[in-house]
Amino acid sequence: MHDETMASGVYLPEIGSADERSAAHTRQLQFNGNAGDYFRIWIVNVALSLVTLGIYSAWATVRTRRYMYSNTTLAGTPFEYLARPLPILKGRLLTAAIFGAYALGGQFFKPAQALAGLIIAAFMPWMIVKSLMFRARYSSWRGLRFYFTDDFMGAYKWYLGVYFLMGIPFIVMTISAMAGHPIFGGLLALVGFAGLYPWIKGNQQQWMAENHHFGGKTFSFDGDMGRYYAIYGLMLLVAIVWMIPTGGLASTLFPFFKEQMASRPKVPPIGFILGIYACMVPFYLGVWTFIHTRMTNMLYNQSQLGTYRFRSTLAYWPMLAIYLTNGLAVLCTIGLAMPWARIRLARYRAAHLEIIGDGDLNDFVRDALAHGEIGATATEMDSLLGIDIGL
Amino acid sequence: MIPAVYFDGRSTRATPVSVWREDAELHWQTADRQRAWHAPLAAFEPSARVIGLPYTLRLHDGAHLQIDHDLLPDDWFPRHHRLERVVDWLERRWPAALAGIAVIVVSMGCLFEFGVPWAADRIATHIPAGLERTMGTQSLTAMEGRLLLPTTLTTTQQAHYQALFRRFVRGVPDLPVVNLRFYKAPAIGANAFAMPGGTVVFTDELAKALPDDEAFIAVIAHELGHQAHHHMLRQVLRGSGVFIVAGMLMGDVTSLGGITAGVPMFLVNAHYTRGFEADADSYAFDALARQGIDPVAFVHAMQALEREHPELKDVEKDMRYVSSHPMTAERIAQADRASQAFRARQPVAQHP
Repeated sequence: MHDETMASGVYLPEIGSADERSAAHTRQLQFNGNAGDYFRIWIVNVALSLVTLGIYSAWATVRTRRYMYSNTTLAGTPFEYLARPLPILKGRLLTAAIFGAYALGGQFFKPAQALAGLIIAAFMPWMIVKSLMFRARYSSWRGLRFYFTDDFMGAYKWYLGVYFLMGIPFIVMTISAMAGHPIFGGLLALVGFAGLYPWIKGNQQQWMAENHHFGGKTFSFDGDMGRYYAIYGLMLLVAIVWMIPTGGLASTLFPFFKEQMASRPKVPPIGFILGIYACMVPFYLGVWTFIHTRMTNMLYNQSQLGTYRFRSTLAYWPMLAIYLTNGLAVLCTIGLAMPWARIRLARYRAAHLEIIGDGDLNDFVRDALAHGEIGATATEMDSLLGIDIGL
Repeated sequence: MIPAVYFDGRSTRATPVSVWREDAELHWQTADRQRAWHAPLAAFEPSARVIGLPYTLRLHDGAHLQIDHDLLPDDWFPRHHRLERVVDWLERRWPAALAGIAVIVVSMGCLFEFGVPWAADRIATHIPAGLERTMGTQSLTAMEGRLLLPTTLTTTQQAHYQALFRRFVRGVPDLPVVNLRFYKAPAIGANAFAMPGGTVVFTDELAKALPDDEAFIAVIAHELGHQAHHHMLRQVLRGSGVFIVAGMLMGDVTSLGGITAGVPMFLVNAHYTRGFEADADSYAFDALARQGIDPVAFVHAMQALEREHPELKDVEKDMRYVSSHPMTAERIAQADRASQAFRARQPVAQHP
């Protein structure tokens, strides 16, 4: 759901976009972490987590996240990660239990697994809200915490309800196919799908941005749905272009595999499976990076907090290069390059996010919502509901 | 006097200040001395030490002082975060990081070699037999009609094998209730396998491929080994354990997901299966020898299987470490050794 690596593990609220004509004061985010320090922190904490059979992992998470947050600074002040380890540990245990029930349930009683899947799907929007609330609540800057509204209705609408709409094109396709026009139905479904999907994604961003608050102000979002159609339209082009290397690779490898398959049809050799992966990787990475980069830019560039706007200028090729080299480095070092990979991604991301506005960033004030002046309820939320679910 | 930044917790205004300690109190004031504050040391909640990060000394009303990493005197908060102090000490040292790698390798090894199997086997002993049977029935139902089709063996053949099966089972001590079922399985080919809860599935293809009754019994003996030690249930529990542990590790260690999580899980599970297969083999050799059957029958069964699955030979070459079964050649060698031991114990008179 809420991809942690997206913001380098740093939770940055959905803030806004560039106003090209004004020469307003811009402030860039800075990331000061370095791979050597982070590697030692990470490796020591992973080792301790393993030795303590996972109990320490909650403390480890807090330490590693604090490193990433506090090394991200805006106007000279670092962000802070304030979560306590115990709620995280509880969340982990709950996740492990759900995981286990799902894995075992299927072995003893198949319908139980389907049921568990349905229940998880039904609770997914609820969990999205809870985990966004948790992240916001424990992210702070200059002593003020972020806050995410508990808008469950909105979450069910945009993360569950709208997916039922996606069913309509498929129903149309089925009806049309039964009526003897399968191609016409397929086209109609495709049009319906293409019309709905960018709209859903755009509204999800809008919902996410508008429910965040900081310093007595609410993030606003001028969601222009047309831009999302443009992104997904371009994505189709990018996908087609990436088909060329993927297709080329596949057709070079194909005769070789065909020979192998002919000699022993029952068991596909492991090389065949790896070969298919190798063919898919450039395509998948190329398309995913495009969407991810453009959507992140869109999220920030359309958001606004008070008089401040944001400018995210992530570019496609540098991001693709980072993801590709990160992925290769992590694979080749069996994971040891992970800290290095995270640090360089965080550095690139911070360098391409600016906050624009004439103010001096001193005009945010504490509000009752974000600071848990609801007393006991807030504490209870930590222990019971405010768990950081890592699904 | 230590430079610091003061945040009042009510706004995002940053106020540069100087901090100093007077006995059990901290004082801080702006450079122009226009504004000054103080609070007892005990009222502060300091953040734990992490390389390079500034300290935040938090007060109950949400205000905090931010002090650069190297500037906070050690004796201000000597009693806070004792555990994290040790962790921080380790995090600053490259030798500790290298030791960390070794610890990770060793503990992952121990976890998957001993930890998960031990925990899964403990749980397995508490699973009621009824549940184990349900599990078997369910898997069998799922396979019937698709992978497993009604047998084409004649009733006479079936009766013959069932009689052999019952006679052999009677001679094996400490067995749970077991039964034998035949299926035609063109998709699986010559094979036999044990289901949780006592059912042994035997394919028509294998029954036809085996050279004699003793080879049939050898295969049965191997499957009874699985039944006697509840291998299937234990495998399921271990697999789930690996799934959970790997899932939790991935959540924390990497976010690469699929590939990195899938491969080790696959390897670990295959490793467990191989252990169980070897276990069932040696159980079979003992059971055969106890009833006066030369374990060489097992060699004949293996050879028949090899003839039926020529493609496996190639697979074994490039899947040496991945295959779920110990290599056929190894198993045959083991069976030969068992057979020699068996013959050595027999009175010479029986071998003219």
